[in-house]
Amino acid sequence: MSDPDLDFTTGESGASATFPMQCSALRKNGYVVLKGRPCKIVEMSTSKTGKHGHAKVNMVGIDIFTNKKHEDMCPSTHNMDVPSIKRIDYQLININEGFMTLMSDSGDIREDLRVPESEIGKEIETKFEAGDEFMVTVISAMGEECAVATKVLTSK
Amino acid sequence: MFEATQNVMLKPTETWREALLDTRVMDLFFTVHRKIREDSDMAQDSLQCLAQLASMHGPVFPDEGAQVSYLAHLVEGLLSMINGIEIEDSEAMGISNIISNLITMFPRTCLTALPSDLFTSFINCLTLLTCSFGRSAALEEVLDKDDMVYMEAYDKLLESWLTLVQDEEHFPRGCFVQPAIQVFNSYIQCHLAAPDGTRNLSVNGISSHEEEEINELQEDDRELFCDQLSSIGMLGRVAADHCIPLLTNLLEDRVTRLHGQLQRTQQHFMATSDPESMDRKVLDDLYEDIHWLILVSGYVLADDCQGETPLIPSEVMEFSIKHSTEVDINTTLQILGSPGEKASSIPGCNRTDSVIRLLSAVLRTSEVESRATRASLTCLLSPQMGKDIMWFLRRWAKTYLLVDEKLYEQISIPLITAFGADTEGAQWIVGYLLEKVINNLSVWSSEPGLANDTVELLVTLVEKRERANIVVQCEGWWSLAKQFASRSPPLHLLSSPVQRTLMKALVLGGFAHMDSDAKQQYWAEVLHPLQQRFLNLINQENFAQISQQEAVKQEIIATLEALCGIAEATQIDNVVQLFSFLMDFLSSCIGLMEVYSNTPETINLIIEVFVEVAHKQICYLGEAKCMKLYEACLTLLQVYAKNNQNRKRCDAGAEEEQYQDLLLIMELLTNLLSKEFIDFSDTDEVFRNQDQGTPTSSRPVSAADVVLYGVNIVLPLMSQDLLKFPSLCNQYYKLITFICEIFPEKIPQLPEELFKSLMFSLELGMTSMSSEVSQLCLEALSPLAEQCAKNQEKDTPLFIATRHFLKLVFDMLVLQKHNTEMTVAAGEALYTLVCLHQAEYSELVEALLSSQRDAVIYQRLADAFNKLTASSSPPTMDRKQKVAFLKSLEEFVSNVGGLLCVK
Repeated sequence: MSDPDLDFTTGESGASATFPMQCSALRKNGYVVLKGRPCKIVEMSTSKTGKHGHAKVNMVGIDIFTNKKHEDMCPSTHNMDVPSIKRIDYQLININEGFMTLMSDSGDIREDLRVPESEIGKEIETKFEAGDEFMVTVISAMGEECAVATKVLTSK
Repeated sequence: MFEATQNVMLKPTETWREALLDTRVMDLFFTVHRKIREDSDMAQDSLQCLAQLASMHGPVFPDEGAQVSYLAHLVEGLLSMINGIEIEDSEAMGISNIISNLITMFPRTCLTALPSDLFTSFINCLTLLTCSFGRSAALEEVLDKDDMVYMEAYDKLLESWLTLVQDEEHFPRGCFVQPAIQVFNSYIQCHLAAPDGTRNLSVNGISSHEEEEINELQEDDRELFCDQLSSIGMLGRVAADHCIPLLTNLLEDRVTRLHGQLQRTQQHFMATSDPESMDRKVLDDLYEDIHWLILVSGYVLADDCQGETPLIPSEVMEFSIKHSTEVDINTTLQILGSPGEKASSIPGCNRTDSVIRLLSAVLRTSEVESRATRASLTCLLSPQMGKDIMWFLRRWAKTYLLVDEKLYEQISIPLITAFGADTEGAQWIVGYLLEKVINNLSVWSSEPGLANDTVELLVTLVEKRERANIVVQCEGWWSLAKQFASRSPPLHLLSSPVQRTLMKALVLGGFAHMDSDAKQQYWAEVLHPLQQRFLNLINQENFAQISQQEAVKQEIIATLEALCGIAEATQIDNVVQLFSFLMDFLSSCIGLMEVYSNTPETINLIIEVFVEVAHKQICYLGEAKCMKLYEACLTLLQVYAKNNQNRKRCDAGAEEEQYQDLLLIMELLTNLLSKEFIDFSDTDEVFRNQDQGTPTSSRPVSAADVVLYGVNIVLPLMSQDLLKFPSLCNQYYKLITFICEIFPEKIPQLPEELFKSLMFSLELGMTSMSSEVSQLCLEALSPLAEQCAKNQEKDTPLFIATRHFLKLVFDMLVLQKHNTEMTVAAGEALYTLVCLHQAEYSELVEALLSSQRDAVIYQRLADAFNKLTASSSPPTMDRKQKVAFLKSLEEFVSNVGGLLCVK
């Protein structure tokens, strides 16, 4: 029954940073590369020049790392690059000179990520100082990574 | 007192008879207008007076004779006014109003009782005026004026024609045919390019051709001008003998020209291979002509009906019957069945049924389009024309395809031969339409509007069992189903709403009549792959680890989208199968909520699946099935709450996504509650032998539990900032009003914080939101007050809250400006609150009276308040008393309302 083309068991090696998609198949809340940056699509609309013109897609995206706004417009038949996005939750173990010590579900430790200089970064520091046990969601795309959310573990 | 733009009908009492029936009074108004008409402001006022006179009805007329002579005098005055002048721009609307009022308000018998000369002159004048306003309206469009006075006036006159023509049987036979031809011709002329028409020609005959940017929010012409088109369509039917062949000729001619132009362009292409160098003017002119011809044809041939089977309009049926003896059926079928050939090249082509011929002309347009796509000329085509074709064919198919003799008193032989059940014609056309749909979906995946119209046509073809039975016999249908199930190109390029609708169509088709092998095979190819792929994926041991891989995420999203589409396909006769199919998924979806708890776009889509299932199915579910759904929803909400508790996000779009989650959850709750209002379930019928009715006492979960639990989640997340999103605000207030109305007994049991925020929300909604929201809040108050009265406990939080609301509603009704629609809702709320808090109400009245310094006003107010409660003292929660109170309140408001809120 299963489709031979779809093999979900392979690991991530070989997974490309972006893949092409026809503009019309993009969706709001989805992702797209605008001006070379991975963006979340926050607005998408179509327009045309003249009543008998062909559709163009207007997109507004927000850079998922810098929160900068980008806009683009292109014919709806064009292909756009879509970034592969990954979100992984880690438990925060320690903060050391601005770097987080993070432990994944499988127990692997990484210490290469900085506490971001954003609201969530402050949140992470405050929670850490308060001794909360919490998870940090790290988003990654096109070779960049950043912590974007926290979730306090409810004691059970 | 009333705004000048409002068109209020004049209904004076008998006492006015002497004054208003005196012809000199009316003459005076005509004379006044004649004198001041150069001044545009004053002219509008004097025409407004005349429009009022034209709307006069009621006891002022002693008998019909008086009414007829009044009307005759009015029409004479009007005609002599119009005929003697060149109408100013500022007069157009006023004159249309006079005519429209007169046609709407005077009984048909009065119009027909007019001297026939006068009636004819009136109709002729109306005809000329309509054509002339139509031309001026077209000019306004070319000049892109902001103030479209002629367009508005034209709309008004066309509306009046519709009123007249719908009552045609009262008038002399055929008296509207010539006028209809003239108005119809002039409409067509204004919408066709030169030389046949005058589109885009300004006064001096120079054509303007500008390409403006059009965004998706701008309505399509078929909606934007639907009123005009309905009137023109109706007039086209009245003069079917003229109009249907005219449309056919024009359309056939344009299609031939389009074909030629595309061929020339192709040659040009091969010579230069630079598409940008092409002048598109000729093509665009042809597209625009075809656009309007197809729209008008659609409106002439069929009505737009939602739900019920629309009938072939009687005029069209009669027209086809009348000519059926002169018609050669074989030639007609030949022209229908050969859309690739020029109609005029087929021998005997002038002996065809005109109704079928007009459809054939649209099919020819469609064929030229299809061939151009095959010749790689898609970039030259007009997606708008593609939309028009799909729109027309859908409208046509609903009415004509498999026409059912039993619905008609008389039936046209050509129509029944070509499109009746079990005819080759019907089979052929279904096959043709299906092929067209499939072609469109691959060629036009990038045009959302056109792709959407295309899948809507597909839905029309399968949503009725009889049509679906033919569709599933077509090979193309099966390959479409397989292709979609395999998620291979080009179908997966379609936008997600289009894919959902396609899924819906494929599921609907599965309920057509097939032998059991075929049916099994069909489901094995449509639904089972979906389930299999999904289960294979989520049952993998390492699913949690691979869940963030792009291919996995896409598979999950595609599955969730498909589930929404499947839910949309729910009908009463398939809900049994679809519900159990979807229920299996719903529990897996809850597992997905955990795995994707950090991936907001997936969470959003999962909730949407629940919303769709509840929306489409709950009204058919019997008790046991309902329980299952409630339980699933409750678990969903619990998991959502758990995952979002103590979560902080600051990624892009976080706020917007949380808002969308909330909106969806509220929709879900509202859908669950809607079961209390709309319930088609009949355990015995729909789920025969499936539900062994669970005894009510052991209900594991009730709608109230789920909804209140949901509100517990939603309320703390709501903020005044979020209420600034209008859709969220409306959905929120709809939900809390529902809750107050359906479970008032649960409100006092709410946790304190929740109770407080609910009351605060109501107050906020009443005082500082839109009038729609404030009406909803007012409606929530009565059940709450009744609940208090039932409990008879004083000093409960709810009792105290209702006392506060008494003051708010009192102030609102008595001291503040509010629109009249609100008076009823506020009045009902006030009455129940007054019943509950009589002493406080008296205090409020006392306080208000004592603040009045003016003795006269004091007395008037005191009297008014006494009268207000006179019929209901002491006030009790009795329906009769309440109605009496509401009536007194209306008087109260009109009597002293102005007195208090002016200051």
